[in-house]
Amino acid sequence: MSLENIRKKIDALDHDILKLLNERAELGLRTKRHKTAITDDKREIEILDRAKRIAGAYNLLEPDFVEKTFKTIIEETRRIQGSPRTLIGFQGDHGAFGEEAVRRHDIQLVPIPCREFTDVFDGVESGDLDLGIVPVENSLGGAIAEVNELLIRKDLKVTAAIRLKINHCLLVSPDANYQEIRIVYSHPQALSQCRAFLGRHHLEARPFYDTAGAAEMLAREKPKMAAAIASRLCAELYNLEVIKENIQDHQENFTRFLVLSKTDRKDAPEKCSIVFSTPHKAGALFAILQIFAEAKINLTRIESLPDRTDPGNYVFFLDFQINDARANLDAILESVGQKTKMFKYLGCYREELFA
Amino acid sequence: MDNLKLAALKGKKRSVIRVGEIGFGEDFVVIAGPCSVESERQTVEIAQAVKQGGADMLRGGAFKPRTSPYNFQGLGLKGLKILEKAREMTGLPIVSEVLDTRDVSWMCEYVDVLQVGARNMQNFSLLKEVGKTTRPVLLKRGMHSTISEWLNCAEYILNEGNPNIILCERGIRTFETYTRNTLDLSAVAAAKELTFLPVIVDPTHGTGKVSLISPMSLAAVACGADGLIVEVHNHPEAALSDKEQALTPPEFEELSRKIRSLRAFMEALSERPSHGKEEKR
Repeated sequence: MSLENIRKKIDALDHDILKLLNERAELGLRTKRHKTAITDDKREIEILDRAKRIAGAYNLLEPDFVEKTFKTIIEETRRIQGSPRTLIGFQGDHGAFGEEAVRRHDIQLVPIPCREFTDVFDGVESGDLDLGIVPVENSLGGAIAEVNELLIRKDLKVTAAIRLKINHCLLVSPDANYQEIRIVYSHPQALSQCRAFLGRHHLEARPFYDTAGAAEMLAREKPKMAAAIASRLCAELYNLEVIKENIQDHQENFTRFLVLSKTDRKDAPEKCSIVFSTPHKAGALFAILQIFAEAKINLTRIESLPDRTDPGNYVFFLDFQINDARANLDAILESVGQKTKMFKYLGCYREELFA
Repeated sequence: MDNLKLAALKGKKRSVIRVGEIGFGEDFVVIAGPCSVESERQTVEIAQAVKQGGADMLRGGAFKPRTSPYNFQGLGLKGLKILEKAREMTGLPIVSEVLDTRDVSWMCEYVDVLQVGARNMQNFSLLKEVGKTTRPVLLKRGMHSTISEWLNCAEYILNEGNPNIILCERGIRTFETYTRNTLDLSAVAAAKELTFLPVIVDPTHGTGKVSLISPMSLAAVACGADGLIVEVHNHPEAALSDKEQALTPPEFEELSRKIRSLRAFMEALSERPSHGKEEKR
């Protein structure tokens, strides 16, 4: 092995060590939900003994060093546990666009990766997570059906909305040659948003469950002739090289995310979201819209999705602006509730734009 | 030249190749910049200097065809990203040489004009590949190619469907050894007689001597060329390639001034009432 190659391996290992330390700290934060005191001497001794035993089997590191290192790690975990932190779940691995939205929205929040959208909802409902963030629609791809359905089924409130410009990057592992790329892994939405780019370079699109997950897999498995489409943040997180930024076919590529909480937040909101279904008769939807028209309220989104609990029928998602109409908001919601078959108030919130 | 089915002038309108706000064949286009992209700092500094000095476009090699395999081969993809940054900071469009057919689609993501260099003039696979794009191609004349061979290479690109070709005379090999090559300015006038494509001149490689660049540039203006491509380096003595033939930014600015004066004179010359009945602009 040449010196250059050895150094490359060391850099990659350092990357992994930091990734694991971060993951360990995240888990530390989550244990807080299950215990009252931060210090647990018995557990600490267990951890140190175990670390020394494993290091002893490798027979290179001094037990002293191992103990010192793990004590430092435990100390840092305690420090993190000691300050009040708000955990927010997002779908995907670290570096997913949901996490980028969280960082732009509030840097103090701690983003926690979740495998599925339903895990985000469940985590918030059970109190394992304080908040959740989910994408509801994309300017090119349209509504994200699974999330919209969960919004109806679960009992969470929307406390903020974020419109985030999506900047897709083509990423490869640092020792890969861009000339040899043939296959590109990413979430189907991302692949479809970069279709013209993939066509120009004769690249084959391979769907993956998540954009950041594809980047993580690329770094871990180093598949031959492969690249991933993911955020710029993923390049840093997974030690990948950016071949090209902004590869989406349309620059007007925005995803709208909702922040979810168990409790409603009503301080100075700008927007309100509701979901409802109407009885199957002439003018039913019109009657609802009339309420808003008469109150001179501007609707910002109206979308219909099939009602899975009642096939053949539809539910309507409605977002509207709250301005001077705020005073009679309760009255409006009540009259909408009376004219609908199913009615659910999703929340009042502010919406931010990050271009 | 009977086999130039597409490239021949034969009553066709002279083409204007648009690159951003510039039009080759309409404006006199001055392209300047380093031989090689060496670092972000070097490239951005030179880009700013040549813009200040009156350049319309930036040149810079990311892939370098060097005589020896042990010489600096260019920064590759990293170089392209630096050129993109330089464009972002100065607004100058970019021309850069493509060496490998596998790089053509990637180069198109970064540069405004693809250059096919003198050594690759008759690399027919490369000509076909750039011909499949719509990106303007700067086609340099090979150092041992006849005018006919050169124009047939333009024919290759046209035949693939890309009409955006800019020809570039850069000197040919003769028995003369004092200069690096012999700049063949008669080829400029000849090519303009034979084809409808714009023709520019590279006096840097054509002479290989700093002192000859300015006089040959002016001669190029006088013989009807549509533009120039010159190498400029902020520290020529430290350049990683072609150090003996790069102008400094002040020398370039001085040349640029002379070119503007001569252009004005040439325009006045062609606008004499006896020459045509067009109204004076």
